[in-house]
Amino acid sequence: MPSNRHVVNQTIAAYANVAIDSAEAAGGREAVVEVRNQLIQILGFMGSNIDLRLALKDEGYSAEQRADMARNVFAAFNPVLVDVMASMASRGDTDLLRRVYNLYEELIESKLGFSVVDVTTVVDLDDHLRTVITNKAQSDLGRDCVLVEHIDPSIKGGVIMSTRNRYVDASVRSQLDRARLVLKEQDGGEC
Amino acid sequence: MIANASKYVRNCTSGVIAFAAASAICPLNAFAEESAGISAILPHMDEFIPMLVAFIIVWIVRAKFGWPLFEGMLTKREETIKNSLEKSEEARIESERLLAEYKEQLEGAKTQSQQILANAQKSADAIEADIKVKAQAEATAMIEKAKVAIEAEKQNAIKELQASMADTSIAVASRIIGEDFSDDEHRKLIERYVKEAGSLNA
Repeated sequence: MPSNRHVVNQTIAAYANVAIDSAEAAGGREAVVEVRNQLIQILGFMGSNIDLRLALKDEGYSAEQRADMARNVFAAFNPVLVDVMASMASRGDTDLLRRVYNLYEELIESKLGFSVVDVTTVVDLDDHLRTVITNKAQSDLGRDCVLVEHIDPSIKGGVIMSTRNRYVDASVRSQLDRARLVLKEQDGGEC
Repeated sequence: MIANASKYVRNCTSGVIAFAAASAICPLNAFAEESAGISAILPHMDEFIPMLVAFIIVWIVRAKFGWPLFEGMLTKREETIKNSLEKSEEARIESERLLAEYKEQLEGAKTQSQQILANAQKSADAIEADIKVKAQAEATAMIEKAKVAIEAEKQNAIKELQASMADTSIAVASRIIGEDFSDDEHRKLIERYVKEAGSLNA
């Protein structure tokens, strides 16, 4: 794994550019978004599985063995992402995955000119809601937007929208939390 | 008076001694012959004169040589008694002085003890007053602390009750929204929230 900061940044940029270019070439915007979503899944998976994380950078294995291990583990994911993960594993760069993902998100906006907006609700969106949310996101961000829908009953209702480091929580859960705080902190008056 | 008595005793004693001495020197048979009538009790002149002369001689000898010794003894005795009486008088005066002094000291001690008692009483009164003031202050402070503690406890209880009520209210509201809202109602809520929500680019 490279230690020089510029070399590291170049390495990260290389991985992210390869991933986004390959994904776009393979399936256009949908594939790009799919790879982006699967990167998030892999980050979560590796964050909770230390054995896999250590194995993918273990120098006790050869580069080919680590690449094969990555291909086998992530075989169900997009082939573009499988190739990138195999390459990172063979070079012992899997610790750079989160930074690759962050740059990948930036490249979606800067290179492809659209934003991926995660929308979390308790029910499936209908076309009308998709249009409403897409219009708002495009209006706020000033560029084309692709929605990635998530269902999460714990938010109780409403909607949470997020893209990269921007976040709007209009969920019932947050409203209730705010109401709870107000009720707890307000002066109870003289008894 | 003592001197006169001594002189009288001295003369009598000298006479007796002189008579005894004359009788011893002149053992005449004064009553060798029996007499009758008044002459039986009158001395015979031939016996009386030598006895008188002998008596006078002995008296003079005693007065000249024996008496000064005896008088010296009496004088010494008199001086001794006089000294003893003077000493006893001095002792009496001294004892009276000491008694007066002791009485004075006793009076002083009484006065001092009364003063001490008065001072002690004053000190006790002052201490009692001080203790009362301190106890009052402590009681007041304790009451204030208790009031503060009670107020704090009351506020805590109110806050806990508020929190509990808030949690319960929110839980009920959350349950109502989660269970009673239909999908369409949820979608309407989403649309409203999206329109009311802040900008993603803020």
